[in-house]
Amino acid sequence: MNSLIKLSYVNKIYLTSQVETTALNNLSLEIIKGEFVSVMGPSGCGKSTLLNILGLLDQPDNGSYLLDGIEVGNLNEESRTYIRKQKIGFVFQGFNLIEELTVYENVELPLIYAGLSLEERKRRVADTLHRLKIYHRRRHFPEQLSGGQQQRTAIARAVINCPEVILADEPTGNLDSSTRAEVMELLCDLNACGTTVLMVTHSEHDAAYSHRIIRMLDGCMLDDRARSITKSA
Amino acid sequence: MLKNYLKTMYRSFLNNKTFSLLNIAGLAIGIACAGFIFLWVEDELNYNSFFADGENIYSVKDNQTYDGTTFTFDATPGPLAPAMQQEIPGIQSVSRSSWPLNLTFSLGDKALSEQGRYVDSSFTSIFHLKIIRGSLHGVFSELHSVVISRKLAENFFGRKDPVGQTLKVDNKNDFIIRAVFEDLPTNVTVPFNWLASYHLFEGKNSWLRQWNSNGVWTFVKLQPHTDLTAINKKLYSFIQTKNKEAVAKIFLFPLKKWRLYNQFVNGREAGGRIRYVELFTTIAWIILLIACINFMNLATARSEKRAREVGVRKVMGARKKMLVIQFISESITIALVAAFVSIGLMYLLMPSFNLLIGKTLSVSIENTSHLFSLLLIALICGVLAGSYPAFYLSSFNPVMVLKAQKMNTGLGAVFIRKGLVILQFSISLILIISTILIYEQISYARQRDLGYAKDKLVYVELNGNMHKSYYPIRDEMIKTGLVENATISSSSILQFGSNTGGYSWPGKDPSKQVLITVESITPDYIPTMGIHIKKGRNFYNNIPADSNNVIINRAFEKIIGKKDAVGIKLVNGGSARTVIGVVDDFVYNNMYATPSPMIMFSDTSYANYLTIRISKNADVKQTLSKLGSIIRANNPGYPVEFKFVEEQFEQLFKTETLVGRLAGIFSALAILISCFGLFGLAGYTAERRTKEIGIRKVLGASIPALARLLSVDFLKLVAISCLIAFPVAWWYMYKWLQDYQYRITIQWWIFLASGIICLLIAMVTVSFQAIKTALADPAKSLRTE
Repeated sequence: MNSLIKLSYVNKIYLTSQVETTALNNLSLEIIKGEFVSVMGPSGCGKSTLLNILGLLDQPDNGSYLLDGIEVGNLNEESRTYIRKQKIGFVFQGFNLIEELTVYENVELPLIYAGLSLEERKRRVADTLHRLKIYHRRRHFPEQLSGGQQQRTAIARAVINCPEVILADEPTGNLDSSTRAEVMELLCDLNACGTTVLMVTHSEHDAAYSHRIIRMLDGCMLDDRARSITKSA
Repeated sequence: MLKNYLKTMYRSFLNNKTFSLLNIAGLAIGIACAGFIFLWVEDELNYNSFFADGENIYSVKDNQTYDGTTFTFDATPGPLAPAMQQEIPGIQSVSRSSWPLNLTFSLGDKALSEQGRYVDSSFTSIFHLKIIRGSLHGVFSELHSVVISRKLAENFFGRKDPVGQTLKVDNKNDFIIRAVFEDLPTNVTVPFNWLASYHLFEGKNSWLRQWNSNGVWTFVKLQPHTDLTAINKKLYSFIQTKNKEAVAKIFLFPLKKWRLYNQFVNGREAGGRIRYVELFTTIAWIILLIACINFMNLATARSEKRAREVGVRKVMGARKKMLVIQFISESITIALVAAFVSIGLMYLLMPSFNLLIGKTLSVSIENTSHLFSLLLIALICGVLAGSYPAFYLSSFNPVMVLKAQKMNTGLGAVFIRKGLVILQFSISLILIISTILIYEQISYARQRDLGYAKDKLVYVELNGNMHKSYYPIRDEMIKTGLVENATISSSSILQFGSNTGGYSWPGKDPSKQVLITVESITPDYIPTMGIHIKKGRNFYNNIPADSNNVIINRAFEKIIGKKDAVGIKLVNGGSARTVIGVVDDFVYNNMYATPSPMIMFSDTSYANYLTIRISKNADVKQTLSKLGSIIRANNPGYPVEFKFVEEQFEQLFKTETLVGRLAGIFSALAILISCFGLFGLAGYTAERRTKEIGIRKVLGASIPALARLLSVDFLKLVAISCLIAFPVAWWYMYKWLQDYQYRITIQWWIFLASGIICLLIAMVTVSFQAIKTALADPAKSLRTE
């Protein structure tokens, strides 16, 4: 099987003037291409730190991080940005759409930074918006959309670059129950098409959509087990 | 990419209208201010640039040392120019010129008094003129030929060719017009509307032929690449080779310095108007800086709003460089918009500005240098204002800003922001204090006791037969009952032009020479002016009776060193004159200086001015009309132009008044722009503290207490500004005042008043936002979270 992400003995300690917090403690983890993994645990257990390191937004203090077979743990910001553009898509709890840009323009943004031509951008944005069933809302601004539609837009933006992996940080945290299911199914669909998904969640319900659940506590992995039953919609 | 940036900016602009308008208004006012100042500076710097080969044109100046002090003059001996041409290598042309003189030209009933010069033929090879009609050939070798400006020609002949026509000059001689030259621009230091032969002038003033009299200006054009230092070395004692006793040491003074560097102290260049040019250039940049600080402060203050955008863009693959470019291009775009708004402002306010400075400047975007400068200013502002926010915003950690529901602004940014507000208000305060002190100094000098009463005193230049008809004119004037007294003299009361270093008296150190102002007056002079005789007596009405007597002022008496100088004999060039009276000092030439020594003769032969004291109860308008008709009846064919001593006195404060006005306007604008920034900042602070205010209100805080809570931080900043501004302003203005002998002492209340004014303005600005927030419904503000 092809390993997409391989963390070995990763540590991350945050220092403030008074406190030293161990966010990740000798954590090792392997994720195979095409997996749908949930990370669960109480607040402060290191879930978000893990996600930030996997997403190359943060760097481990030591240990190794192989992404698609390449060591990326110690890269400079420029190289991390480059790899992030190519391989990683993000979905946030608070959607993080730019208020001044329309749905279309928000989704287009990663393609602009990737340097694609206007024609190519138009084609890919239209495709993605159709696929995520949000095309009819392309000219609206985020504040004119429902929470579900905003997260749909954020997911469209995350997948537009055809990333190897989508990192979702509590993607349903700000949504009501009906739109939660909608977003989770969307992630499942993307996963079914071959995109690896790693999701941080507090919700057992949402975690039930994934193939594998990792439970964390105090920066360590408490439990890592594959789910045998896939929850039906 | 750029399109995406512009779109974001445009929509962000619309979403934050108040912020955006404050930014653009502040920058536009700043750029317009700077634009006006730079236009004025451009005009000052371009003085005399009209004349081709300006870098080779010089005037001859001379230094004369008396009693250890060196004075610098423009007047040179008449024979100097031909001698220099013959004996000094490297000189291409040299020309003599009379001082600027008014001639009355008339044709039929029409008469006009215009200023011009008598010059040598070489004058026009030094100052190239654009000849639009006729030719200069042979003009200056004919005594009664004249070259006139287009304006003068059109006044008499309209569009007809005036060449070959004649104009009567001073109602005596007919002058043939030989050529017409294009009008000179206003920014030349040697303006003239006519030129005539120097020989004619010399013929009337034979003393000009002597080496020991300094009476003409000498202009020189050097051959290109001539060594100026070598020439000045040769010139240093050049006059002494012709006249051993001469004091004057001459040197060449370049045309490019005539306007801005024409002050000399003790024989050395001591600047001049350049200090105002430099001062206002600095003020222009300071105002731009204040406007840019607004931009920086408002941009970083609302960084919470943009932090999320920065985080998203970074996660989406934007590199720091791209974000820096994005934010700087945003600020440049805003600066460009502000620049275009400022063009509108400048077009609108140009007439008022011209009125203020007494010039006709114009801004034109078709003028590439103006357009280029404007774009450059916008670019500099954009980069200056945008750079700090760009680096600050682009350095946000995306993890922090995307996770946090609310971002805590870094302490560093808050510190810088406060520092910038303090800088803005310190500058504004310095400008306010300086303005008040400049006005204080001007009004102090204006209210100075001049030693004579300047009100109801008018004078008129003598022309035609006025000199001869002085007594009948005076008698007729007195008979009207509208005039208290009248006199003729060689100078106007405010400006005395003649002086000499040749006097000696018993007990004088023979090695020292003292420069003494010389004035010819009539016995009516002292009563007309209202000058007080301290000792001795006035001149007798019988002028020849006092031909060997003089009256001196107190300043001269002090130099003589005798308790009573009456009766002392003053000797000059073999002739001795007795002091018969000492008058109290009266102020002349420099209104800020202590009066210099002066000697007065009773002699009408050198008179140039008729000065009249109008009766206290007489109606001025009616009186002048009556006096005008008396003069015209005795001296027909000449225009009569009365000048009020009081008005001319005001003219002497022109530069300082202009500086005071400009400083006042620019300090008002500086504080206005600073307040824009403060208003914006207060708004954001209030917005950020909405929840806190809600909680405090629920817990029972009163509205005044809340308004105070929100305002006090800003007012503290203004208070700190006072501490910085006070010593700086004191030091700068102390130095400025040192240039004036007659000056105010800096008083503490000016600082206190400026501080209070500044604090009040800031309080009004900030409390608007504070009260608005404090009045808000707490239920609403608590829900905003």
